[in-house]
Amino acid sequence: MTAILIALIILFPWFGAVIIWLMKDEQEKLTHILAMSFTAFSAVLSLVLLTRIGQDQISAYSLGIGMGDLAFSADALGIILTCIANCIGCLAVVFSKDYMNGEKDLQRYYSMILLFIGAMSGLVLTSNAMLIFFFWEITALCSYQLISFYNDDPKAVRGGLKALFITQFGGIGLLLGSLLIFSQTGSLDIQHFIAAAQAGEISSAALAVAGFGLIAAAAAKSSQFPFFTWLPDAMEAPTPVSALIHAATMVNAGVYLLCRFAPAFQGVAGWNTTVLWVGIITILLSSVMAIFANDLKRVLAYSTVSQLGFLFAAIGAGSVTASQFHLLSHAIFKALLFLCAGAVIHSVGTRDMRLMGNLYKKMKPVAICFIIGACSLAGIPIFNGFWSKELILEAIHSGAPLSVYILMLFAVILTAIYSIRCVWMVFFGKEKSELHVHEPGRFMKYSLYVLAAGTVVSWLTFGGFSNAFSKSLPHHEIEAESLGKFLSTIIKDPLTYLAIFMVILGIVLWIFHKPGPSKAVLPKVLETCAVNSFGFEIINEKIIDKIQNLSEFSRELQSGILNWNIFGVLTGLVLILIVLGIGG
Amino acid sequence: MKNNLILWLLFTPMISSVVVYVVGRFLAPNDTEKPNKTVWLCVAGIAATFVPFILSSINILNGKSVATTIGDITLAFDGISMLVSLTVLILGLAVILFSVDYMAAEHSEEKFYGLLMILITSIIGLSTSTDLFNIYIWFELMAVSTYSLVAFYRNRATSLEAGIKYLTQSAAGSIFIILGIAMIFGTTGKISMQDIPALIASSKRIMIAAGACFITGYGIKCAFVPMHFWLPDAHSQAPSGVSAMLSGIVIETGLIALLRSLSALNPAAASFGIIFLLIGALNMLIGNLGALRQSEVKRMFAFSSISHMGYIALGIGFFLTFQESTASADGVFFHIFNHAMMKGLAFLAAGAIVFNLKQAKGDHSPLMVKDLDGISQKYPWYALLLSIAVLALGGLPPLAGFISKWQIFAGGALSKNPWAMFLIVFAGINSVLSLGYYAPLVNRMYRHQPSQTVLAGISKCSATMLASLILLGIFVVLLGLFPMLISNYTGSASSALLNMFR
Amino acid sequence: MSYIIVICILGLLGIGFYCLLITRNLLKLVVALQVLVKGAMLAVLFAGCLVDNMEVAQSMALTIIVADTIVAVIGLAMAIQVRQITNTSNIRSISTLRK
Repeated sequence: MTAILIALIILFPWFGAVIIWLMKDEQEKLTHILAMSFTAFSAVLSLVLLTRIGQDQISAYSLGIGMGDLAFSADALGIILTCIANCIGCLAVVFSKDYMNGEKDLQRYYSMILLFIGAMSGLVLTSNAMLIFFFWEITALCSYQLISFYNDDPKAVRGGLKALFITQFGGIGLLLGSLLIFSQTGSLDIQHFIAAAQAGEISSAALAVAGFGLIAAAAAKSSQFPFFTWLPDAMEAPTPVSALIHAATMVNAGVYLLCRFAPAFQGVAGWNTTVLWVGIITILLSSVMAIFANDLKRVLAYSTVSQLGFLFAAIGAGSVTASQFHLLSHAIFKALLFLCAGAVIHSVGTRDMRLMGNLYKKMKPVAICFIIGACSLAGIPIFNGFWSKELILEAIHSGAPLSVYILMLFAVILTAIYSIRCVWMVFFGKEKSELHVHEPGRFMKYSLYVLAAGTVVSWLTFGGFSNAFSKSLPHHEIEAESLGKFLSTIIKDPLTYLAIFMVILGIVLWIFHKPGPSKAVLPKVLETCAVNSFGFEIINEKIIDKIQNLSEFSRELQSGILNWNIFGVLTGLVLILIVLGIGG
Repeated sequence: MKNNLILWLLFTPMISSVVVYVVGRFLAPNDTEKPNKTVWLCVAGIAATFVPFILSSINILNGKSVATTIGDITLAFDGISMLVSLTVLILGLAVILFSVDYMAAEHSEEKFYGLLMILITSIIGLSTSTDLFNIYIWFELMAVSTYSLVAFYRNRATSLEAGIKYLTQSAAGSIFIILGIAMIFGTTGKISMQDIPALIASSKRIMIAAGACFITGYGIKCAFVPMHFWLPDAHSQAPSGVSAMLSGIVIETGLIALLRSLSALNPAAASFGIIFLLIGALNMLIGNLGALRQSEVKRMFAFSSISHMGYIALGIGFFLTFQESTASADGVFFHIFNHAMMKGLAFLAAGAIVFNLKQAKGDHSPLMVKDLDGISQKYPWYALLLSIAVLALGGLPPLAGFISKWQIFAGGALSKNPWAMFLIVFAGINSVLSLGYYAPLVNRMYRHQPSQTVLAGISKCSATMLASLILLGIFVVLLGLFPMLISNYTGSASSALLNMFR
Repeated sequence: MSYIIVICILGLLGIGFYCLLITRNLLKLVVALQVLVKGAMLAVLFAGCLVDNMEVAQSMALTIIVADTIVAVIGLAMAIQVRQITNTSNIRSISTLRK
């Protein structure tokens, strides 16, 4: 039964992708409806799958030499992420019904989303290291296609290619990691590998290389330091895609990878610390960038990067549950924020926050949803972001040095500042220009309401969440905790109030700062750095430049002169003789 | 009957090449726009060749051997021959179907089909030969048939230029091959690959010299850097069908010939392995850098063939250097098959687009990258299939190229050697680099605003062309999702290689 | 005696490759290839002498002659075609394919 469900949840969206690809341009309405029904059905399937969480290992036939078995595991880590991908995917598709109305090439749009959702489910459910890489690359392919959906726009193409290259480059780390797993254990089974690593059967050098390779892969996919430059540029995608891929699912793949393999690398010196610091550096850098950005979607993108940093930090501090619980909260509230932003952008026709202002009156429902999301992002009590962020802070307080905890508190202030700034600039303040506002569509509102409700109540699932994790992940050694106990720990802990105080401090700081360009040196320097992505954009461009120069140089070798070609042959012979002479 | 299977396998395409040519002479249509009907005879010839092929394959897969001896010459059909023949027959079928309309307006089409059948014969023949000299003969036959095919547009200066460059380099390569054979023959007095290793083990210098000669001579055909300079010219100037054959199977057959010849020098196999590893790394880098800033579509694919030969050479290098890396051999043969399908598809799809845009472009100027802008709006199938081909070449799943690259790497990883891991990472970086030229192509094709050239193209797509593209496309997608479909074939090819070298 | 033959072989190969490296004339290209093949063929015959197996060596040499003649014919045909189209036999002047 579980096996059939897993097969369906991967193959059904893919089947849908093929069907939708074959639709005609004229059948626009049918395309929307088909996409919605395919995603809705797989969302239902994923919810059914929730009931099958356990330690089951499902393994079908062998794929071939060096490729392991077609194997899946039905544990909480995978199934909860499947649920997130499918449910939020479904809401994003419902939202697209209005958002993408009248666009060309809907078939490609929906096919890629469906292919993506299926691949994401596969990625988190499989227990074969090669298949992780397989699905990993499919998600990279789909996200690249979706980011550059508007292919006529050079910026979109650039954003898509950048996402593809950076995630693929990081993917080499995963390639290396999974190949080392294969070469060291002779099998690609992840459970087997984790058991072997915990038993100390794997050479420590190989384990370390694999561990850091996986960090690189995860950092690239989750847009962490030093690979965080692609996510903001990925905002050229249609907004539902941003919500689905760049907030709720794909970027989570990196976090998932680390959570999945974390137990294996506990013995590797510096692994946890590296993950922790990658997280913290990312949080700080991206929060500052979020404070200075003026493009609404970019602010959300930077906030995604910084929230993913929290997830990394939690893993580094040793708490997979905290990381995953915040992942759940973040997926919901960030999807909400993105879709609200989409509704706003769709209505006013610009992404520049400086041109917005006082939109609250004009689009109340969207504004309220956005504010709920922003409160959750800032960590204001009773919203889901508050509880899960407290869980992370608690984990960092107990599992990492005090200095790290202080930096995290500072990050909480920054988060509060950019959240309030964003809400204020868009929905309140002075009206900057005469923007004509459309009423958001019916389907847009439906998906916003569902997500807003999720943001308010999703933390109530903590009991079941933690129980599922402790029950189904033997290697992670997670203790189950009931919701009541969780709440009482957080409420009784004085540090919680310190964190809330930091949030309020952040909001107060922003309200009382002097508007207009600042004269002090520090903010100015910070702003310059932040606008220039702290120099990482320049590094990216330099690398591209170098490669292109190299390419031009190598093309000069192809001189087209026959004598030169013959010279090449003779050189080849001499080189081969030399190498053979030395080797033999 | 069983002993004659090989003869049937060789005679069927050989006889059909003659029949196709002769009948084609008589059937040549007056209306030059119509295809010569002899092409259907050619298709029938390929179909007929499948019969002895399937019969021999069944024997091989059941563990029986298929061999025949005529005089001093022994021909043996083993796992490698099976894989190579399968590849060449499928690709050949696709190319011939594609050429029905593509070559229809050309002068002396029948010659094209006749030469194509000779090419197919020679490739099958080469894969079955068991002595050094026999390999050389088939190899020369293959080379001769491709010279004329590359320079098929004999009224275009560029096409002749490519042909002459190819001929000169390839003929120079033959010299090295003959020298290598002479050295071995002069030392041992034998030319049969099985007899030589025992006799030659003591003469180390000869082994190195002969090995270097073979690697250079056959390496020219395999486009090993720095002997690759002919390839971008030849592949981009040949008719698209021929480009597909050249890239898809001819350069790989050069590698098979090289491996067979090197198996005579078996005792020195490990030191040849290092050469393959180095060449693999160089090929990937040079091929990708050459393609990166290329503005001509077919030339870009030609450079990408150089880099793909790099992956294949890398796999062979892993296999020869490290005892544990037998899985690399599976990967290599898998990649050879996949590359034939992917690159065949890429060249044929590009050719189909050339065909439809020919009138719009007005002359024989090559298909440029910018001509592909928005092609999906007018030719959705061509755009889809070309996208599938280039993404598969870039190694993205769920397409075939990913799986075979993985298998090559997995084999290398089994060696647990840090240098092997380093080369794998290098290969991975190269795959990312290759997306630097494949991915923008896809973006271009899916623009909403077609280019002027595309708008002026013929709207009607040829059914046979589409059929040939879909045939190859099915393999590219199917093998990416179900790699085990072909594991019998790659498995027996790899065990044949194991027999040759271990 | 055998030294002389080895020197002959190397001499022929040297002349052939030197010619290939410097010539720009299409016809000389074909001639150079012919010289090279003669050198290689001499090597095959010499090898036959060394192992006292002239029958195999001779049959190989004959086959090489056939193969080589076909290559020469195709090469010359192309050279003539080039001359007819472009009115030149200089390979550099038709070298347009580069980069």
